[in-house]
Amino acid sequence: MKKVNMYALSTCPWCRKTKKFFTDHNVPFSYIDYDLADEGTQAKISAELDAAGATGFPFVTIGDETISGYQPERYSRALGI
Amino acid sequence: MNTESRKKALRYFFEKVVTPMGFKFTPDADLVDFLLEQEVILETKHGIPFCPCQPLRHDRARDMKIVCPCIPFHREHFDLIKRCWCGLFVHQDVTDPDSLPQLSPHEVGLE
Amino acid sequence: MNKKFVQAIRADEVAPGGMRAVELEGREIVVCNWSGKYFAIQRRCGHMNAPLDMGTLDGKFVTCAMHCAQFDVTTGEALSGPVSEDFGGESPPPKITEYLEHIVMQMKHVRMESISTYDTKAEAGWVLVAL
Repeated sequence: MKKVNMYALSTCPWCRKTKKFFTDHNVPFSYIDYDLADEGTQAKISAELDAAGATGFPFVTIGDETISGYQPERYSRALGI
Repeated sequence: MNTESRKKALRYFFEKVVTPMGFKFTPDADLVDFLLEQEVILETKHGIPFCPCQPLRHDRARDMKIVCPCIPFHREHFDLIKRCWCGLFVHQDVTDPDSLPQLSPHEVGLE
Repeated sequence: MNKKFVQAIRADEVAPGGMRAVELEGREIVVCNWSGKYFAIQRRCGHMNAPLDMGTLDGKFVTCAMHCAQFDVTTGEALSGPVSEDFGGESPPPKITEYLEHIVMQMKHVRMESISTYDTKAEAGWVLVAL
């Protein structure tokens, strides 16, 4: 299965839905809550979002693909489930 | 300070701002309540009700663009997806907010 | 102690959406008009005592001009704290930096308090406030 990572905010309900999506589908994933991270990590994430043209969270990476926003259909397609 | 009172006050102020722009609070009342609660938390922490779903860049010029309601700074994008990023506001004709996907600017042909 | 109503201001001197400061028996009070209903609050902001009549009244919410603290004029409840003078990462001009740091440091110790309100009634073209 492709590696899944996401950047989230502890205040964002769509991020919670995204985490739930992966949990419900038994997809292992790692995540970082941007607002709870240290400055250095935030700067890194901020740059990644800018590079991908993403303006908000959730920001999900499945393999090589980046998906901005809560988009369960795209997650399913990317994961082949 | 009382969270419920502050949420009601934010509702009052925001309604006046978003209505002339063609938006309204999403009909999803639970989502409104949750997001406003997060905004009160953010306001208590930072002094300003920022969007609960966008990153603070610690750069004043950028951060001012995610002060709720941030519609004016993302007008083209939000008009195309008929909602704001966090979904607190939707176009006035929207009755089924769950049908509006959270699409980023380049997914709708912007930037 | 029994409260007595005293004449504060003529009703037509405070238009809807407006605020006027009056001094009654040594107390500074602001009379507010929310869509034709009158409310009276203490003049001093619950944050740093700035005069609230110099702020703005929007519906039943008054916003203080000094640091944007907000109160509900019907209950006096403090709704939000002041907005800090933090420059959000930008550097202010060097000459005022020290001064501002000193002010910000002091402001961090200032508590928000809810403000007092006074009962009102309209009678014969006058607004009366109970003291």
